[in-house]
Amino acid sequence: MLTLLVKPSASITFTFNDLEVSAIPGQSVGAALLAAGDRVLRVTRFEKKPRAMFCGIGVCFDCLVVIDGAPNQRACITEVKAKMVVRTQVGGA
Amino acid sequence: MNSPDVIVIGAGVVGASCALALTNAGLRVLIIDRGPVASGTSGAGEGNILVSDKEPSPELTLALRSRNAWFEVNEDIGGGFELDGKGGVVISRSETGIAGLKKLAKAQRENGIDAREVNAAELRKLEPHISPTIEYGVYYPQDAQCQPMLAAAQMIRAVKKRGGKFVQGENVIAINSKNGQLTGLTTNKNTYSSPIVLNATGTWAGDIAKLAGSYLPIAPRRGFILVTVPAPELIFHKVYDADYVANIASGEADLQSSAVVEGTASGTILIGASRERVGFKSEFEIPILRQLAQQAISVFPILKELQLLRAYRGFRPYAPDHLPVIGEDGNISGLWHAAGHEGAGIVLAPATAELITAEILGKTPFMDPTPFSPKRFMNQNPSAGVNVAS
Amino acid sequence: MKPEPARVVVVGGGPAGLSAALNAALSGASVLLIDSSSRLGGQYWRHLPETWLEQSELHLDLDTGLLLISAVANHPKIEIWSGAEIWSATHEDGAATLRLITNGVEKIITTKALVLATGAYDRTLPFPGWDIPGVMTPGGAQSLIKGNGIAVGKRVVVAGSGPFLLPVAAGLAQVGCEVIELLEANSPLRWLKSLPTLIQNLSKIGEAAHYIAIFNRFGVRPKFNRAVVAAHANQDGELESVSIAKIDSNFKIKKIERVKCDVAAIGWGFTADTSLAGALLLKQLVTKDEGVAVLVDENQESSIAGIFAAGEITGIGGSELSIAEGVIAGLAAAKYIGCKAEISNNHHKTRAKKQKFAKALISSYPVKSGWQSWLTDETIICRCEEVKYSKLKFAVTELGATDSRTAKLLSRCGMGMCQGRICGRFVVDLVANESGISPSDISEKERISVGNRPIITPISIELLANGE
Ligand SMILES: Cc1cc2nc3c(=O)[nH]c(=O)nc-3n(C[C@H](O)[C@H](O)[C@H](O)COP(=O)(O)OP(=O)(O)OC[C@H]3O[C@@H](n4cnc5c(N)ncnc54)[C@H](O)[C@@H]3O)c2cc1C
Ligand SMILES: Cc1cc2nc3c(=O)[nH]c(=O)nc-3n(C[C@H](O)[C@H](O)[C@H](O)COP(=O)(O)OP(=O)(O)OC[C@H]3O[C@@H](n4cnc5c(N)ncnc54)[C@H](O)[C@@H]3O)c2cc1C
Ligand code: FES
Repeated sequence: MLTLLVKPSASITFTFNDLEVSAIPGQSVGAALLAAGDRVLRVTRFEKKPRAMFCGIGVCFDCLVVIDGAPNQRACITEVKAKMVVRTQVGGA
Repeated sequence: MNSPDVIVIGAGVVGASCALALTNAGLRVLIIDRGPVASGTSGAGEGNILVSDKEPSPELTLALRSRNAWFEVNEDIGGGFELDGKGGVVISRSETGIAGLKKLAKAQRENGIDAREVNAAELRKLEPHISPTIEYGVYYPQDAQCQPMLAAAQMIRAVKKRGGKFVQGENVIAINSKNGQLTGLTTNKNTYSSPIVLNATGTWAGDIAKLAGSYLPIAPRRGFILVTVPAPELIFHKVYDADYVANIASGEADLQSSAVVEGTASGTILIGASRERVGFKSEFEIPILRQLAQQAISVFPILKELQLLRAYRGFRPYAPDHLPVIGEDGNISGLWHAAGHEGAGIVLAPATAELITAEILGKTPFMDPTPFSPKRFMNQNPSAGVNVAS
Repeated sequence: MKPEPARVVVVGGGPAGLSAALNAALSGASVLLIDSSSRLGGQYWRHLPETWLEQSELHLDLDTGLLLISAVANHPKIEIWSGAEIWSATHEDGAATLRLITNGVEKIITTKALVLATGAYDRTLPFPGWDIPGVMTPGGAQSLIKGNGIAVGKRVVVAGSGPFLLPVAAGLAQVGCEVIELLEANSPLRWLKSLPTLIQNLSKIGEAAHYIAIFNRFGVRPKFNRAVVAAHANQDGELESVSIAKIDSNFKIKKIERVKCDVAAIGWGFTADTSLAGALLLKQLVTKDEGVAVLVDENQESSIAGIFAAGEITGIGGSELSIAEGVIAGLAAAKYIGCKAEISNNHHKTRAKKQKFAKALISSYPVKSGWQSWLTDETIICRCEEVKYSKLKFAVTELGATDSRTAKLLSRCGMGMCQGRICGRFVVDLVANESGISPSDISEKERISVGNRPIITPISIELLANGE
């Protein structure tokens, strides 16, 4: 079997809801979080339901997170950067 | 429906309001629209129900009655159109602007409007995110808001439940009359007879008048609106810059705009509105969107952090004197008009419906309808080259 | 604004856009290639950064892609703006103006010659529970592998319809996911019928065999006439199981069983991303799969002179057709600005061959209206605005909507952040069904209009205000 994971040239860290997560440069925020076991990225506005990545390519806007204070960032297409502060987006922000 | 008492052309907010009032008065109503419900200007504007932006005038009397009538309609049909009496705040930063506002508020108070001057601290209690450069405003608790498309749809739903009928997808192509007396109308699909036809076609009302051999100088005035992404509640009232008031009365074709900012039930924030007379020009003009964004940020700097999600535009129906046209046609008896409400069709709709209904039934209306009468254009002969602004 | 030099602007860095850019440049044109992704390649050649492990085993055709990408990247006449998303486009006086956001800055360019190659995304259908975390598109599951080097979950169900399910299932198996079900909604007869065309048309003849070998190796057994018709959440609200139904040829449910899984990757072919084309008011048409495509002539020129379109936005047809169209569009655009470029018979022939294949494929994997019977009143229709099926039906039956625009304004379906990209297409069918309009009577205008979004992607109000 082909074992995926990647011999990263380097690993970087960022935080998700104040907890440290490590990632490989070049990964998307959503992918790095999924790899770390965090699938749920936001909570919906009306019914407060959890949501995760759906389309994976920036089309559906279901993977919205708050990055460095800015809401509505698509986790699936935003490349992760060291020291990013990422939070679950609850409702509109 | 074989023989309606009244045919209403137009399923916008004005047509729907009139249909509801006429139905409630016991008449059998048939509504005809070439498109679906609210497919005209009512589906392309905002839902401000403002008394704050009008000087003491017949229009203000109409607006004040209408504002209350909206809440009665809400009761009557069981809501469902996001009616919210959230109140409005009008601000100004210039000395002359503030002086104008003070004067306006005073005159309005004398005419039954609740207009409360607020200072910087009170303003911040009403709107915590308002720009620090703004220190004066007038608070209007009576200003309200609704979702106009839902309002039209819910009113028509009630009309249907009460025995009326709505035919969509039929374009009225002829108004039929005999010896100056209306007999009915013809669409691209059918002919209907009726003693009364109410022209509630908004921006297109002049075309219907023309079909009947009469004349109404109604022209389009374009407006763009920005819609932000859904956000937590940041803006609590309808907030607008005093220039907005000035712009309505101004007669220039050039682009005019000033910030009108409001939150909606769905969490988006609406930023309006521009006003220009460019005919039915539908292209998206980015410079106008930019201007609206600038003005909104100048009132609410926090909007910088939001994103623009959508933009849309509509065409307000306006008459040269900026007053709505409500009443019976001067040339064809049985043809009535309720159109030309410009940027106030939502607020004025239910009171317009009351005027029309009272007049059709020969009852005394709650106010003198003469200023709105279509007859004011009667001696303006179009063939003599009256210039209808386009 | 200062006048722009004559050049060809290409939007989209997938197979079509790359081919267009390279061929325009080879004909002597200066080219600006704009792509919203951070790495060129589009959906098909999505790849990890070069420093990562070799991944060719995961991806049949990546070598071709990397070759093309490096040819484009190293061509002196091609300037590349990656990570640049166009938010607005207009056309006036023979030139297109594109406004885009890159690194948080807005840039504006105008061009006489434009090639659109904005591609496609997975076509989805709603069903009860499709909003539960763990349900996603096959393309999404694949992009996690190809672009991020991660496996999406442990126990995966792959379902829907179309040939794209095969590489996705194979890729998932290869990276260590247990592909517990691979479900094709259509019948094996349709499937087998398309296989010869498939094999005959692939330059790499072994593609189908390759996938079958992988399935054998990992014990994946494809099943037909089956679909995921509901998903169920655990206490945390995440995916726990799916209901798999045996369905008839119209997709109506015959028998249901539950299967435990943590990921369900479900897709029904592709939807072309025509937002940019719509903003530019290019003529569009409805394709055989009820999708929308940009109308082009034999040289890939759209209804507006100087604007060319290639790849999935002119009709779903796979990467090879995208390349064939991209080549022609690049040459034609170069020619349009006065370069010497020759579009030969061969170019047209290659494209025709791929088109035939695409047509055969699309008719092999129809989406039948029986899917609508999977919905309950509680099913979410618009994911963004959380609009339930009952609310959409209310807009039609009670509030009188008979078209999807009115239904949208009265129910909020399609009014959210994705601007109807996900639900717009099937809301048209639901509204028609509810109003008693048969699918074949749905107007072209109605289908095309759901792709109209003058603001193509959200832009910060601050950037908007500060722009020229
Ligand atoms: C940007 C913008 C913002 C606005 N904001 C506000 C606001 O905040 N508050 C406010 O009060 N007002 C506002 N307005 C104004 C308001 O929207 C209009 O005054 C109002 O919608 C007019 O309603 P109506 O029913 O007269 O016309 P419409 O809603 O246009 O209805 C007319 C109907 O007639 C039909 N019709 C036309 N010709 C024919 C024919 N030949 N046969 C059959 N049917 C026909 C059309 O299809 C249409 O449905 C705004 C307008 C714009 C453009
Ligand atoms: C997720 C996914 C995975 C796929 N995997 C396969 C596969 O494995 N095998 C296969 O045969 N087919 C696959 N396909 C089908 C695929 O669409 C085509 O085979 C091929 O990629 C189409 O090429 P294209 O050039 O037309 O578009 P794409 O490859 O989709 O490229 C379009 C590019 O345009 C960019 N773009 C779009 N809009 C804008 C904008 N407004 N501003 C800037 N840039 C923009 C996009 O970011 C993208 O990079 C996949 C499709 C998807 C959606
Ligand atoms: S998962 Fe769809 S936009 Fe990110």
